[in-house]
Amino acid sequence: MDEPAIAFRGVTYRAQGRVLLGPLDLDVRRGETLVLLGRSGSGKTTALKLINRLLEESEGSVLVDGRPTREWDAITLRRHIGYVIQETGLFPHYTVGKNVGLVPRLLGKPEAQIRERVDAMLRLVDLDPQEFRQRYPHQLSGGQRQRVGVARALAGDPEILLMDEPFGALDPLSRVELQRQFLEIQKRVRKTTVLVTHDVGEALLLATRIALLEGGKLMGIYSRPEFFESTDATVAAYRAAWSGNLQFPGEDRHGGIS
Amino acid sequence: MVEFLRIHRVEITTLTLEHVWLVAASMGIAVLIGVPAGVLLTRKPRLREPVMGGANIIETIPSLALFGFLLPAPWLGARADRIAITALALYALLPIIRNTYVGITGVDPGVREAARGMGLTSRQMLWQVELPLSMSVILAGVRTATVLCIGIATIAAAIGAGGLGEFIFRGLAMVNDSLILAGAIPAAILALAADLGLGWLEARLRPPRA
Repeated sequence: MDEPAIAFRGVTYRAQGRVLLGPLDLDVRRGETLVLLGRSGSGKTTALKLINRLLEESEGSVLVDGRPTREWDAITLRRHIGYVIQETGLFPHYTVGKNVGLVPRLLGKPEAQIRERVDAMLRLVDLDPQEFRQRYPHQLSGGQRQRVGVARALAGDPEILLMDEPFGALDPLSRVELQRQFLEIQKRVRKTTVLVTHDVGEALLLATRIALLEGGKLMGIYSRPEFFESTDATVAAYRAAWSGNLQFPGEDRHGGIS
Repeated sequence: MVEFLRIHRVEITTLTLEHVWLVAASMGIAVLIGVPAGVLLTRKPRLREPVMGGANIIETIPSLALFGFLLPAPWLGARADRIAITALALYALLPIIRNTYVGITGVDPGVREAARGMGLTSRQMLWQVELPLSMSVILAGVRTATVLCIGIATIAAAIGAGGLGEFIFRGLAMVNDSLILAGAIPAAILALAADLGLGWLEARLRPPRA
């Protein structure tokens, strides 16, 4: 069996004496999309930030490519990992082209190569480079901004992609569009991806496996079929919340008022 | 009045230039000290209270008294313009330090987090993200400080540092309104011009909101 791309080994994260996460043991396999699903405060974002060392674990260790993140130079580690957040964090004073080219530029790639890479990444997320390269983030729609965010995260050709509620701020239609597009992209680039969400539907759509977190503890890891079959009460509650979305309260299945 | 302007043309020009020199030199020094100090406060929050407190206290010292305090200082006290520039720079520090601090801490946390997550070093963060995004706020501080100093610089004439205050003090002594106005009007025009010019620059440097 392959060495996992990311491994949590007895990881605990504490802030002001309170345990926010852990102890957590979890492997992320190469090329899979692992979704961390949980409600606010479940520790899923904390777990994500431990991977690129935006936070540092209090106990245990997080291994990236078999090496504890503490032993990595933090800057090198982060440039090796793509990072997408909900509000995209695009630099408002940079054009789209400069935003996407940021990591290759930090890595010291030659200008011509950066330009080529920027165009390729924009095409990958379905944005015409001619049209969008020179625009500024405030001249884009929310969905376009998020696409640029994904293009930027992939521009440095990282092995690992971390996404924190990447589609959370979008309207429902753009959200579905981007989720589908992400699946397409993922089919092509096959990055090891860890995605944080509280949306069960999103988890079911995008995940290779779902890691369910509750109150800083890992409740279980489920493939899609396992998630549907599990008799665990928490999983059942998530399933109910998800399918409950498809019905209106006070209406039976046939649309009549009961 | 026109006659007065014609006679004093040369003197008005000289004193205005002196005035501009006093303010420009002190603002240069204040920016060179104030901006790095403001940046330092964002890195070492524990220094915030004492540094801001100190700058606040300086601000409360009446300007005439501050000029007086600096008179016996070695080297500085040897020339009136040195004293004036030092005092003006001290007054200019507070708005510049404060706005640098406020500007940098006000950078969108999402942008900051993304920048860190992508592996910007703390120096790259400062030059590529924090300073460009807070430039308009910092400049607003420089603008406040400049307008303030153009006013205070008129008092520098009391210790013989020159500038448009010369006319004002002379006019006061001779009870001559024309002389007072010959100092006050150019000073007011300078302040307005600085305010408009820096305001324009500030608006240009304001980052677009995403």
